[in-house]
Amino acid sequence: MNATLTRRSMLQIIAGSGASLVLGTFSSAACASPAKGATFAPSAFLKIDPDGSVTISINRSDMGQGVRTSFAMLVAEELDADWTKVKVVNAPGDDATYGRQGTGGSGSTRGMSKQLRTIGASARLMLIGAAAKQWSVDAATCRTENGKVFGANGKSVGYGELTEAAQSIAVPETVTLKENANFKVIGKATKRVDNHDVVTGKAKFAYDVSVEGMVFAVCLRPPAYRATQSAIDDSETRAIPGVLDVIAIPSGVAVIAKNTWAALKGRDKLKVTWTGGSPDVSTRTLRADLKKAVVAHKAMTGTKVIEASFELPYLAHAAMEPFNAIADVRDDSAEIWTGSQSPDGAQNQTARTLGIPKEKVIVHNLLLGGGFGRKFSNSWVAEAVDLSKRLKKPVKLLWTRECDITHDTYRPMSEHIMKAALDATGNPTGWSHQYLQAPAGRGNGEYGANTYLPYEIPEAGMRGGGVDSPVPTGPWRSVEHSQLIVVNECFMDELAHAAGQDPLAFRVKLMKSPRLKKVLESAAKRAGWGTAMPAGSGRGIACFDGYGSCIAHVVEVTFADGEVKVTRMVAVVDAGTTINPLGVEAQVQGAFVDGIATALRSAITIRAGGAAEDNFDRYHWARMSDTPKMEIFIEDSGGNFGGMGEVGYPSVPAAIANAVFAATGKRVRQFPIKVEELV
Amino acid sequence: MAVFKINVNGKVQTVEAEGDMPLLWALRDMLGLTGTKYGCGIGTCGACTVMAEGYAKRSCQMTLAEVGEDKIVTIEGLSKNGDHPLQKAWIEHDVPQCGYCQSGQIMRAASLLLQTPKPTEDEIKEAMDSNLCRCGTYVRIFEAVKSVAKESK
Repeated sequence: MNATLTRRSMLQIIAGSGASLVLGTFSSAACASPAKGATFAPSAFLKIDPDGSVTISINRSDMGQGVRTSFAMLVAEELDADWTKVKVVNAPGDDATYGRQGTGGSGSTRGMSKQLRTIGASARLMLIGAAAKQWSVDAATCRTENGKVFGANGKSVGYGELTEAAQSIAVPETVTLKENANFKVIGKATKRVDNHDVVTGKAKFAYDVSVEGMVFAVCLRPPAYRATQSAIDDSETRAIPGVLDVIAIPSGVAVIAKNTWAALKGRDKLKVTWTGGSPDVSTRTLRADLKKAVVAHKAMTGTKVIEASFELPYLAHAAMEPFNAIADVRDDSAEIWTGSQSPDGAQNQTARTLGIPKEKVIVHNLLLGGGFGRKFSNSWVAEAVDLSKRLKKPVKLLWTRECDITHDTYRPMSEHIMKAALDATGNPTGWSHQYLQAPAGRGNGEYGANTYLPYEIPEAGMRGGGVDSPVPTGPWRSVEHSQLIVVNECFMDELAHAAGQDPLAFRVKLMKSPRLKKVLESAAKRAGWGTAMPAGSGRGIACFDGYGSCIAHVVEVTFADGEVKVTRMVAVVDAGTTINPLGVEAQVQGAFVDGIATALRSAITIRAGGAAEDNFDRYHWARMSDTPKMEIFIEDSGGNFGGMGEVGYPSVPAAIANAVFAATGKRVRQFPIKVEELV
Repeated sequence: MAVFKINVNGKVQTVEAEGDMPLLWALRDMLGLTGTKYGCGIGTCGACTVMAEGYAKRSCQMTLAEVGEDKIVTIEGLSKNGDHPLQKAWIEHDVPQCGYCQSGQIMRAASLLLQTPKPTEDEIKEAMDSNLCRCGTYVRIFEAVKSVAKESK
């Protein structure tokens, strides 16, 4: 990418949200260590110290997708930094300084790459300017490499020695970003910046933080959604050594204690009477309601009509790190430590709740132990703030695993009613997808089927709808694509067979997206698509174009002894321009494990108006032995940096289901796949 | 309240707590050893794995009273400088994504290699199946453990 920016737009970009550019100083909350005299800090995102270290502030949340590494790579590339001297810190929640910080929808790299590169490129020109001034030479005769400026005179100087002089150099009018061919950092397999801290146990998540004088809190939450406590008997709880208090809050009952264990024990001794909720609601009633909400498909013409319906369950996020936060609410300020996908949201929300200016709320956003879309709401931050305000001391709140799984905002349960028609040559002449959710999501009524269909299909329509449900729902990895693409790719397979055509050839023939077509054909070729498989095994294919990237999966499964086993996976991904191949590969690996888990075993069941599964003994996720060897190939088309957090998931359950059909001759109608129906 | 003397990472430490407090919370809340993580509290995820006398133990399922004289090793005590072969292999194979479960994964693998220095691929999978990783880093964990197993004598 080559972008020339005007001085005005660059100033805005560097300043983040249009605030004026401040050279050599930081906003107070911008960085853990205050700016020293000779620190060169042309932006809140970047500072260079006299020791040559380059510190980059990361304004989006790293929940495992690797933005701390990839963002640093973007800045380092344009800065020509010495990678061994690059340090990374998390920006606090502060949208006035850092712009929007909500992290999701694979928006981080796509939204931030130009800004980060521009910051690096601008700082580089200013460092060159400082060196040229020292040497009394034309800046145009200087070049940079690995954290140093080199002059045509044979002299060189490290960035660290230029930090003071660079502060008086004018911000460049324009910067030209590097051509892809000149990248030295971008595209290079780069290990995560946090690896050493992680493997030594030093990496800090919010619950690892300790604040002087803090007390510990855990909550008991209602067994049914929307139920509230009508009576609390806390006598046994208060008798537990270490328990300090019991406080009813809107979302449940909090036990305050001197340590986590006392709080947990106290919680288990609470006797709470719950009223309200929807005790009559269950997965069974919701499924029946969804089936009643089906309407007639619009008429379509063709020689062959294919109809099918698919049932998808609620899915919990179950990030390894459950919600937690420390809140320290004082008279006219507050300080929060948490891991949020929306740290700026935490700041704004807390300021509103407490009625104080947002600058008075400091939100330290730590590493997130997984997120997957769950850690946006900051509801847990609100609980910690509420408790700290009442107790007038710092409160460290932990959601237990049971709180996390039973009070998640689930990927919605859905029913998909599919119909398509084929003409005499096997070409589709119509497509209808009814997408019914509990509760009904966005996109109620008719909407663009083509957004979710990379295929040329005339008269394609989609209708969204649903039924009332008390079950809380929210975004989950790949959001609506986790339902729509899974179903569409299963149904495409079914159409191909109905047309008497190979599922790969059928897709390729109808494919609108040249990028997707390329990865699909490549994956098929690499996997040996079309070669014979042993009895009891099968191969399936599926693909997805979304979030700026394209991916195709070929999966092999066996079905034996009542068990589906995924035995091989081949994926080809086009991330436009890959920043970090190791990161892209990791996302494809992780999303594939999600696909195995949700195709074969994970589901949340609703009983008596609440979740039946409350921990990993019943909410089963994939383990190492479920995971086959993965052959992953990055075949970039060279365009914009694509998103990678979401794209790897949707085609996986579909490819597995299609492989199950190839192995057993039975179509998958429900996820997770019911093995008893495959015999 | 009772006083326990427990041997953690080669150092005898005094903890004043209830005897039924799981080692996990004693390590984290009382001793400040936060590398050991809470994941499920019921012994199903392995995020809290430590070694007791060289065997992988889920510290959420072992009470302070049960620790006795067992020598406990946590991720902080696995090596002095973060250079245990598994720690190096984890970095070399770029295993972590979010990182939260990895202390437990490494401690599980360390125990496996102590008991079975040259595990087969199936033995690696069987041992590591006890530890959940929601980011799905299994392929890299497997390769990292395998690389160390190959070099062990």
